[in-house]
Amino acid sequence: MKKLKKAVLLLAVCLIATLIGGCGSGASADGKTHLTFQIWDVNQRDGMQAMCDAYTAQHPDVVIEVQVTSWDEYWTKLEATAISNQMPDIFWMHTNEILKYADYGKIADLTDLYDDVDPGFYQEHFSEVSLKNIQGSDGRYYGVPKDKDTIGLVYNKEMFDQAGVAYPDESWTWDDLCEASQKIYDATGYYGYMAYGDDQLGYWNFVYQNGGSILADNGINGGFNLPATQDAMRFYIDLQKNNWCPDQNYFAETSPGTAFFSGQGAMFFEGDWNILSEMQNYPNMIGKWDVAVLPKCPNPANGDGRASISNGLCYATSPTGKHYETVKDVLRFFGSEEGQRIQGESGAAIPAYIGLEDTWVGVFDQFDYRLNVECFVDMFDYGVQSVNNKFRPTWKPDVSDALLKIYSGQISFEDGMNIMQQAVDEAALED
Amino acid sequence: MKEKASKRSRSESMWGYIMIAPTIIGLLVLNIYPFLDTIKLSFSKTLPFGLYELRGVQNYVKMFASAEFWRANMNTIYFCVLTVPIGLFLALVVAVMLNTKIKGRTFFRAVFFLPMVVAPAAVAMVWKWIFNTEYGILNTLLMHHINWITDPNIVIVTCAIVAIWSNIGYDAVLLLSGLQNISQSYYEAASLDGATKLQQFFHITLPMVSPTLFVVLIMRLMSSIKVYDLIYMMIEQSNPALTSAQSLMYLFFRESFVTGDRGLGSAVVIWTVAFIGVVTLVQFWGQKKWVNYEV
Repeated sequence: MKKLKKAVLLLAVCLIATLIGGCGSGASADGKTHLTFQIWDVNQRDGMQAMCDAYTAQHPDVVIEVQVTSWDEYWTKLEATAISNQMPDIFWMHTNEILKYADYGKIADLTDLYDDVDPGFYQEHFSEVSLKNIQGSDGRYYGVPKDKDTIGLVYNKEMFDQAGVAYPDESWTWDDLCEASQKIYDATGYYGYMAYGDDQLGYWNFVYQNGGSILADNGINGGFNLPATQDAMRFYIDLQKNNWCPDQNYFAETSPGTAFFSGQGAMFFEGDWNILSEMQNYPNMIGKWDVAVLPKCPNPANGDGRASISNGLCYATSPTGKHYETVKDVLRFFGSEEGQRIQGESGAAIPAYIGLEDTWVGVFDQFDYRLNVECFVDMFDYGVQSVNNKFRPTWKPDVSDALLKIYSGQISFEDGMNIMQQAVDEAALED
Repeated sequence: MKEKASKRSRSESMWGYIMIAPTIIGLLVLNIYPFLDTIKLSFSKTLPFGLYELRGVQNYVKMFASAEFWRANMNTIYFCVLTVPIGLFLALVVAVMLNTKIKGRTFFRAVFFLPMVVAPAAVAMVWKWIFNTEYGILNTLLMHHINWITDPNIVIVTCAIVAIWSNIGYDAVLLLSGLQNISQSYYEAASLDGATKLQQFFHITLPMVSPTLFVVLIMRLMSSIKVYDLIYMMIEQSNPALTSAQSLMYLFFRESFVTGDRGLGSAVVIWTVAFIGVVTLVQFWGQKKWVNYEV
């Protein structure tokens, strides 16, 4: 194993070296500048390619090659290329990792990217949440916002009809969610809302709806000791005690999405980035399901009871790349209205650029049966930035472990909360 | 004359070195260097992007103080206890049966060897289906609702079953080669003396195959202590039984690549190497008692 680790790293480096060495050596045979663009989502390849094509049509002297690496390998590979200083020219960056890369100077500070064009470009065209998602620990911008997302409630219309329950709407609260689940279970025997041990697609939403938070205000310590956080988490975890919700053992073998699209349950939370592929992958289900905004907390500790976790990716580059100036120009285009429009129209994701959300919504017009995807856009009004701090990689596995142990009854809820709180606090101390 | 010969032998040995150079360089670069590097890392605090600071035994202190680590040790030992004796026994039975003159012997040999050829990911996929609580064929046949994969008390047994199944063929083929070296005359002599098949097995087959059995035992035990891929494939991150199934190598993977603490991960690896070393030493010492090298 120990050998494997290094060997894989080394192999990855060699692989990238040949990849980049092959095409990145300045003026290549055809006299053009060849750039590599690394992404992890194969569903977005065409959208990214379309965007690159639009750029290269205007700049014939540039060639951009889109490369897809699966999410699992992406970060190992990217880190290896960062160590050997052979990073792809442009790559996607995720909020999970951006702080690490930014703090170690592995991705370029792009705060001044638009200064010549429009110094207020970032603030004008991107939301506060989007901008938070591209900041390093020092508050500067280390990427160009790519997209933004929210979490919505996916529901099975047939099951609602059979149980005689009205479809979820803006007015829904947690109580309605439970009540509908019970009725559906009683009437059809299928599961209601499927609440499982996930953060972004699960309890984070409930915690912020209740006015709690996962991190304390200083962004370093945990928020698991706050009553508002605990109340929401207790509510969420206890949902599995209902007969209409499968337990965590079930979810360990069957994901809520699989259960939903095989007609086992009536509702689950889903990110907007999956909706298009689910529309395409489950043709039998077309017309039988729809999406709605998340139910709100009926009696929040503070706030209006609404929240939906909003994350976002960005385009980043290495500060030491060979074609830094060209890359900056490409990035400027990727962040521009034109670039973001192409991305939205391809259905890849909701563009981060404010005002272009409808381009993504419009993609769903291609289907005879139109989902109410506008709800994902509506939720940006109260979107909450996906929980993140520099120490997240350290505390996240411990927090997930504790959550699973609460579910399986190995530890009590209170002990679990203490463990989670400790995990977050100690992660910061260890640094 | 003498000088000429040595010149020639020197040039010969030089060619020898050149010939083995690719392998040796590969070994040094891919095995020896990373191993030394791992030792170094186990005494360091690792930072992202290959950076590190030497910190003495800090990682080891942290490791020995962690309940998770001891749990992983117990899980690994439990896994070995389950897989090695049963696995070896079954492999021996299979090997003995494949050594007899039955019809379609080649076919059966191929069938038993198949699991070795199939990708571990595919094996895990199929077994996960078989063990699925809701739709799995096993629960359907047993008419029970057993949480094979998610019950903390059962999950290692489940993994052990898959491990045994996957390894039987390979071990059996090795044992078979040992069995085929046993001269038929022993059996003829024994049957003339009126020994039963069972007596023949215990008094001829077992002692004669014991050197091969010993090699297989060492290999099987080593790979059982190092079990990782099977658990990684069988147990999802969302599985409540995850900590009950976590082996030493799985702990290493989580610490190194999920949490990003490669220092601690390396310490776990070094511990495992030492553990395997001790276990193997004990076996070499113990073999004197049961392995028979006289033909």
